[in-house]
Amino acid sequence: MTERPLLPELLRANGISRRGFMKYCAALTSALALPPALAPKIAWALENAARPSVIWLSFQECTGCTESITRSAAPTIEDLIFNAVSLDYHHTLMAASGTAAEEARLAAMEANYGKYLLVVDGSIPVDNPAYSCIAGISNLEMLKETAAGAAAIVAVGTCAAFGGIPHANPNPTGAVAVGDIITDKPIINVPGCPPIPIVMTSVLAHYLTFGLPDLDELGRPKAFYGETIHDRCYRRPFYDKGLFAEGFDDEGARAGWCLYKLGCKGPTTKSVCATVKWNDGTSFPIQSGHPCLGCTEPNFWDNGGFYKPLSTPAGDYRRVGLAAAAAGAALGVAGGLMGRANKARAARAHEAVDAHDLEKKS
Amino acid sequence: MTATLERGLNALREQIDAPVASFFTTCVSCGLCAEACIFYKETGEEKFTPIHKLDLMRRLWANEYTLLGKVKSLLGLGEKITDADLAEWETLVYDSCTMCGRCTLVCPVGNDITLMIRKMREGMSAAGHAPKELVGAAERHSDYGSPMGDLHKALKAQIAHAEKETGIPIELDREGADYMALLSAQEIAEYPGVLAAMSRIFRKAGITWTISTEGFEATNVGVQLGNRDVARTLVSRVVAAAEKLKVKGVISPECGHAYQALRWEGPNLIGKTYDFEVVHIIELLDRLRAEGKLKTKGKDDTRLTFHDPCQINRRGGINREPRNLLGLVAENFVETEDAGTMNWCCGGGGGVGANERAADLRFKAFNRKKRQFEAVGAEKVVTMCAYCHHTLEEQLEEHGMEELEVEGLTELLAEYLDDED
Repeated sequence: MTERPLLPELLRANGISRRGFMKYCAALTSALALPPALAPKIAWALENAARPSVIWLSFQECTGCTESITRSAAPTIEDLIFNAVSLDYHHTLMAASGTAAEEARLAAMEANYGKYLLVVDGSIPVDNPAYSCIAGISNLEMLKETAAGAAAIVAVGTCAAFGGIPHANPNPTGAVAVGDIITDKPIINVPGCPPIPIVMTSVLAHYLTFGLPDLDELGRPKAFYGETIHDRCYRRPFYDKGLFAEGFDDEGARAGWCLYKLGCKGPTTKSVCATVKWNDGTSFPIQSGHPCLGCTEPNFWDNGGFYKPLSTPAGDYRRVGLAAAAAGAALGVAGGLMGRANKARAARAHEAVDAHDLEKKS
Repeated sequence: MTATLERGLNALREQIDAPVASFFTTCVSCGLCAEACIFYKETGEEKFTPIHKLDLMRRLWANEYTLLGKVKSLLGLGEKITDADLAEWETLVYDSCTMCGRCTLVCPVGNDITLMIRKMREGMSAAGHAPKELVGAAERHSDYGSPMGDLHKALKAQIAHAEKETGIPIELDREGADYMALLSAQEIAEYPGVLAAMSRIFRKAGITWTISTEGFEATNVGVQLGNRDVARTLVSRVVAAAEKLKVKGVISPECGHAYQALRWEGPNLIGKTYDFEVVHIIELLDRLRAEGKLKTKGKDDTRLTFHDPCQINRRGGINREPRNLLGLVAENFVETEDAGTMNWCCGGGGGVGANERAADLRFKAFNRKKRQFEAVGAEKVVTMCAYCHHTLEEQLEEHGMEELEVEGLTELLAEYLDDED
């Protein structure tokens, strides 16, 4: 791997100036909510750091996360960074196939044992490991084997982070997240369906420069998952004024009012979609007129329908409610009967008295 | 038979019904009932919060009528009610409550706290925890016909006196009369002038009336004690007397709880509706006024105010009638603050007036009425309950306000009756 060109050379070869690279590093620094003075440090780390080997495993996934990073027509800086960090194994991106590909993985593992970074996208089926195999090796086995020598794991995409769509009800393969299987390694969850490219690269940059970033209670880097989309949404003023689109083609929708009533999950979804946006800062779902699906949150697929407002209960509450009401009524009737029996018993025990029976006579 | 804890608890158990269960369930502990209670307001003692006075009944309900309570009781966790508890609550339930009904009126969730006090007294009395004065009165009333003992002779003497004064005969036990009048023991003993007043007013209005020697006592200490067996026995006497004389109506006299007992509790106690009408004397007089059968001449020009008896106004519904009548005869009528349905109790009702132990509390409670009378500069207080009348006189004397005159409304009207033929 050492024969690979260093990042500066790659940048020059692709016509990206030093100034452009430094601007990018500043953007990363700001995205990571780090002090601006640290931008040169990030640049230095990206240019000179140990270039740890990265092994990327894809399990039950749709390749959307890889697409997200490599989507752009022209090679992007993100792409280059992936090249710069020695991406030694990636099903989709590597030229090798078959036995040669697996050998590359084993070779990378051996050469950098205990030091390489493991990136995983996709969930892992545990009901029957045969549901998803690569080169005859089940996902579960490959993950365990590869994770054993990793310095840290980045679970990219909601499938790897929380189980994602394969995990959605009725979860036929018994899909689980990386964190459900590997418990003895640091895991950074970078959920999203897919995640925003700069979020993925920033996390890698942070890892190279400073080590593990600060994580929230769901293992997500706080820099990117610290605030809800709702709090940063440009449609928020309409929400505050109570101006809501009620349909996709009504006055409110045309006027760009809040999509809350159309099922927007922005208020409960933590991500930087509203600020960083997608496709080089072009737009994000709400800007294009569609409610947020909440894809960076666990179980987003099962949260009661994408077009139901958050205030509508999710799940089969009607049946549960009826059953609870029936059980409550039965309990109430039973309680009432018991109370009535108690009262009737007391009435039977009543002995009529006259005024002379109201004193204690001993 | 003797009163025991077990009899008391059983009596309480009998009293718990759907309204009680819903009242205890819905109480939000807001404390508004405290603000409505004269004993809390004039002493500031939290134990006088009305709903707290019912805590033992609430505890019994929770232990025996709720699911959680039953489970707790099974596990031996429910807090049991002991005789000592009843002894402690006796003063709360009998000394610091006149059953005036203000708390019921202000309760934001509509809990009838007064009704529950009445119910709780059933348990207290059956357990032997009723004030001895009330038990004594109940015994005398049961045995001799009146809480003051045998008043037959006194009644006859007062009737003779009234006949001499007015020259109008009062016929006892007259069958088929329009009305049978009842009297409270307090009137016979202390304010007999009401007899002459009724005699004159009714003759002028062309009403025939009588008094039964078998059921003239209107009071019902069973209602104050909280013992429905006793209350039923006493109310039955009046009902039997009225049925025997085949009267159209029974006149409930100027007495608060008597009206409550006969008009509202009575039919429930005996389990049937009456075949005669029960009318309060002031209600009847206002009816006569409206029909033009009660005419007056001249007016009382003293600065005069009215004290509403709780059981007759707030809990009895007679509010406009006394004011209509006062309009006929009072030149300088002035209302005190809170007059009418939210009037404050004189402090003597619900058996508290007979309870020696409660004398100090009664004295403190009266401060409110005292301030209200002073605020309007009243020279005379008129009322329509002989026991309020008695309490007002007693308390005004205790508070050094003897110059403030107290008078019954019927007597005041008779003073100005235009009965020249």
